[in-house]
Amino acid sequence: MIYLDNGATSFPKPEPVRRAMASAMVSCGNPGRGGYPAAMEAVQRVYGCRETAAELFDCRPEQVVLTSSCTHGLNMAIRTLINPGDRVVISGFEHNAVTRPLHGLGAQVTVAGRRLFDPEDTLQQWEKALRQGVDAAVFTHVSNVFGYILPVAEMAALCREHGVPFIVDAAQSAGSMPVSLGEWGADFIAMPGHKGLLGPMGTGLLLCGRLPKPFMSGGTGSESQNQDMPDFLPDRGEPGTPNVAGIAGLAAGIGTVRRLGLSRIALREHREAARCAEDLKKLGFTVFSGPNQGGTVSFLPYMDCEEAARILAEHGIAVRAGLHCAPLAHESAGTLETGTVRVSFGPDANSDQTRAFLQAARQLL
Amino acid sequence: MKFCFITFRSVTFAQSGQRSLKRAGIDTVLRRTPKGLEQRGCGYCLQLRESAALQAVDQLRRSQIEFGKLYRWQQDGSGEEWPV
Repeated sequence: MIYLDNGATSFPKPEPVRRAMASAMVSCGNPGRGGYPAAMEAVQRVYGCRETAAELFDCRPEQVVLTSSCTHGLNMAIRTLINPGDRVVISGFEHNAVTRPLHGLGAQVTVAGRRLFDPEDTLQQWEKALRQGVDAAVFTHVSNVFGYILPVAEMAALCREHGVPFIVDAAQSAGSMPVSLGEWGADFIAMPGHKGLLGPMGTGLLLCGRLPKPFMSGGTGSESQNQDMPDFLPDRGEPGTPNVAGIAGLAAGIGTVRRLGLSRIALREHREAARCAEDLKKLGFTVFSGPNQGGTVSFLPYMDCEEAARILAEHGIAVRAGLHCAPLAHESAGTLETGTVRVSFGPDANSDQTRAFLQAARQLL
Repeated sequence: MKFCFITFRSVTFAQSGQRSLKRAGIDTVLRRTPKGLEQRGCGYCLQLRESAALQAVDQLRRSQIEFGKLYRWQQDGSGEEWPV
């Protein structure tokens, strides 16, 4: 199988991730609860994950809250910053993990910047929305459907300039592009552990520039006589026994990313996505591509997109079709009715994968 | 050898403290805080040589790592607070 669905999850997981998870299963007790060797081994594994994440994302280990997914982190962040009826600005490329919680809260949402691969327009629309007055902002770093890399550093600077607290969704960029809590000055940055960070599913990180509102309450192994959740990080955001095997795997995944190097990963992914887009165009497909594009390409086949993905699967190609849980992004690009076929490269991106995919894509003509 | 404890509100603070002290050349052992010294339920502390205590406190303050109190260790497992 040629796996080109890294936008959904990285697959297969690197050997160090599998080894770390397996060893945690037989060496780790419950972290932060006991003082015997197996509990302390777990404590070290969990802290090791925070530490390596903090080094990669420019923050302190305490600011790394371990979550079960990017969606979990986004929900915690959104419920911290946004109250029912608040005015919120979002980009035109947000995932349902952002839009559904906002809808659920009854926020008044303004969508700013809907033109693909046009950072100048994104920034103009963003500033215009901020000037009109908003209570908070939420924006993705990279569109999960089209691979558009939004000008996040500039969007963050505009938010700071206007005194608007903000959340960045780094679901598609963490592990393949620089993400910095310190430099961006974000209130929160959420990311999954199982995509670009190469960890297992069921893991995620929420980088906290401020204290989150507890999403759940429960035991933390600290201040047990206090019936309020602790008022410090990371305990405030981490009730209950953590997924230690998953966290050990995530630490190994982040270690793998750091060994490979962000710039090398980005170069590979972006180069193959650009090559893929170019050759799909030559075959006559409608392809969504442009400057400021990451390792993801969407295109329209000459048939139902799900049927196209099925045919590609028959030829050993794994891609995702449909709306990719991001109807807003499809609405922005005018593909809400059709959906698209999405090709998303990973850190192992190479020309053999692209050639094999393009060979199979000829079956769609 | 005489020991002392530095208490922390969470295991993560204690671990950050341990890393910081190690960088400063101060060896510590991460352990559960004796129940009698823990004011709010459960917690972790760093055990270290009494002779390094004041240097350790200074290092934690310079690193802006939040800690609780400093205690001198007693033979029965309890501690006597060492105001700093």
